[in-house]
Amino acid sequence: MNETGNTAGKGPLEEPVSRRGLFKYALLGFSALVTVGGVLTPIIAYLWPPKQASAAGGGAVNVASTADVPPGTGQVFSVYNKPVLVINTPDGYQALSATCTHLGCILFWNEQRQLIACPCHEAYFNTNGAVVAGPPPSPLPTYRVRVDGDQIYVEGVES
Amino acid sequence: METTSRRSWTTRVGDWFDERFDVRIPLEAFLKKPVPKHAIKWYFCLGGITFALFAIQGVTGILLSLYYKPTPDQAYESILFIMNNVRFGWLIRSIHSWSASLMIAFCVAHMLRVYITASYKKPRELNWVAGVVLLLLTLAFGFTGYLLPWDQKALWGSTVGSEILGVVPLIGEALLGLLRGGMEITGLTLTRFYGIHMLVLPMLAFVFLGAHFIIIRRQGISGPL
Repeated sequence: MNETGNTAGKGPLEEPVSRRGLFKYALLGFSALVTVGGVLTPIIAYLWPPKQASAAGGGAVNVASTADVPPGTGQVFSVYNKPVLVINTPDGYQALSATCTHLGCILFWNEQRQLIACPCHEAYFNTNGAVVAGPPPSPLPTYRVRVDGDQIYVEGVES
Repeated sequence: METTSRRSWTTRVGDWFDERFDVRIPLEAFLKKPVPKHAIKWYFCLGGITFALFAIQGVTGILLSLYYKPTPDQAYESILFIMNNVRFGWLIRSIHSWSASLMIAFCVAHMLRVYITASYKKPRELNWVAGVVLLLLTLAFGFTGYLLPWDQKALWGSTVGSEILGVVPLIGEALLGLLRGGMEITGLTLTRFYGIHMLVLPMLAFVFLGAHFIIIRRQGISGPL
């Protein structure tokens, strides 16, 4: 060992780091960094204020392009994990909750009758969400829908 | 103090604290207890893994409680919010849910190991009893936590599960009402289960975990077969 300049008063010099020691510290340091980073990153991101204040989501969701929903047709899309029916009516696009207000079945668009149909108990709703036939106790909640260029956007908030 | 040239900075930091707190000797006695040779096997780690999972449940559970709302109107909505809007919310909730199942599995595996190596025998009977209490607490954690998402599975799972209490002779109905906060599963049941899950069970778990660990350190791991 090459002990140089052992000045009085100051503590003895430390041994220079050996090759093995360097590897040990590098490996330990790297492992510690990855572990701490891997655990702390999700936790800090989790604590960071979330984007939307509303539980149903706030931002508009791009569900489809206008070509996907030709006039007279309707399709169910997932908007913040909830089924939303988008219909291309003569008065423009209409978006409604696709959950039947009776027992929660998923509704579909009946093209022949131009009505929203429930497969469970043959209930029908019109394009404004009002009950036309069947057991549902209340009309369907509607969503704001907007067309930007050739893209259809549905707002997460029920209007 | 020692004045060798080999004192690393970590040792020096340790010395600094030891000069002030005098903790090295009790800490070393606590941490440096050797594990007997016959116990250095993977199946002697099952209890420790269970505890690690318990710690994970503590951390992820606290994180979930920051966004979860225990009311009938908002419980499910807040779960959707955690899953869709909160960054890594899906991860935290999934870890909580998976670790819950794993914790029960490892509890049972640990119990089997203790049974097979006959480690429950005198003088360790009471530690076995503390372990059984901890298993029951773990199951109670699972049962009360199952209702909290407030979806159909939660509602009917809790309905069927709590119904078992109703068939206790004579006092069954009273017990059922006491557990559910009424004769049916309502918002009162939800807050009740939430309180039990978040406050009552963790406190009981700490007490019995403490007992479990103190006893094993006092008595040591049971001898080889």
